[in-house]
Amino acid sequence: MNPKRCAACKYLRRRCPKDCIFSPYFPPSDPDKFACIHRIYGAGNVSKMLQQIPVQTRAEAVESLSFEAKCRVEDPVYGCVGIISLLQTEIQKTQTLLARTQAEITVAQAKHSQTQVNEFM
Amino acid sequence: MSSSASPSSSCGGGPCGACKFLRRKCVAGCIFAPYFDSEQGAAHFAAVHKVFGASNVSKLLQHVPEHKRADAVVSICFEAQARLRDPIYGCVSHIVSLQQQVVSLQTELSYVQAHLATLELPQPPPAPVTSSGSPPPLSILDLPTITPSLYELSPIFEPMSSTWTMQQQPRPFDHLFDVPSSSTIGGSSELQALARDFLHGANSS
Repeated sequence: MNPKRCAACKYLRRRCPKDCIFSPYFPPSDPDKFACIHRIYGAGNVSKMLQQIPVQTRAEAVESLSFEAKCRVEDPVYGCVGIISLLQTEIQKTQTLLARTQAEITVAQAKHSQTQVNEFM
Repeated sequence: MSSSASPSSSCGGGPCGACKFLRRKCVAGCIFAPYFDSEQGAAHFAAVHKVFGASNVSKLLQHVPEHKRADAVVSICFEAQARLRDPIYGCVSHIVSLQQQVVSLQTELSYVQAHLATLELPQPPPAPVTSSGSPPPLSILDLPTITPSLYELSPIFEPMSSTWTMQQQPRPFDHLFDVPSSSTIGGSSELQALARDFLHGANSS
């Protein structure tokens, strides 16, 4: 077997052809990356997905697939949707706090103006 | 969309959406039947099948407790739809967009809180000549900028994941879709409308 097989072909126990669609994105130094993606999506689905997008975007696609697969392995119920939900909760909390702080500023400014008027009189 | 059957029922009323799509006999105890009804379930399953594959989803669901499978199916459908809409980034683009919103809001909050702090400080007595008696107003440009890159998400991923599993947080879908834990994907038109809005919002962000 070719010792320079990519991580995908090594995992799939097959010869790594010169035009292997996986080899640019799954170096043999990182076997877990493909293992995780394969577990969630399957090699065939990932290959089809990569074939349908331009070559220059495939690296980014593999990274995002890897991220989502990792999220799904860590959290089989919610995957990365759990992160979306937590971020949305954080946004709502921060918006509420922002609105409250802006209201406090309005009150403080009103008090300050009243104090100035009182001092003037 | 009509409600789906309970998790323990068989496919007495015809094949479920998944088996309809796969053109196979829907057996009693079909793992997909409670979550993919025969009407719109087939369309949802088509997306899931294209991205994940039927056998992978089946294995995923088998490893999830039964009372959590409805939520798992909803999240899998969401990810599949997001990936089909954006084959390069999937729902990662939505995560990055939300992360940027969080950073922007927190920056704005810091600025506003600092402004409030200056207002609440005791005011010095008024000077006769007010050329530059008050401190210069804070500018948002004074605050550090944080520009997260697309894949610097592990700080969000790791602590949130451990927080999620270690603490008794409300389910994400309680917040996202406001449905009880026993609901199924076909159980509520409100769920569908919210899911549609969520997906449309994810698509435009």
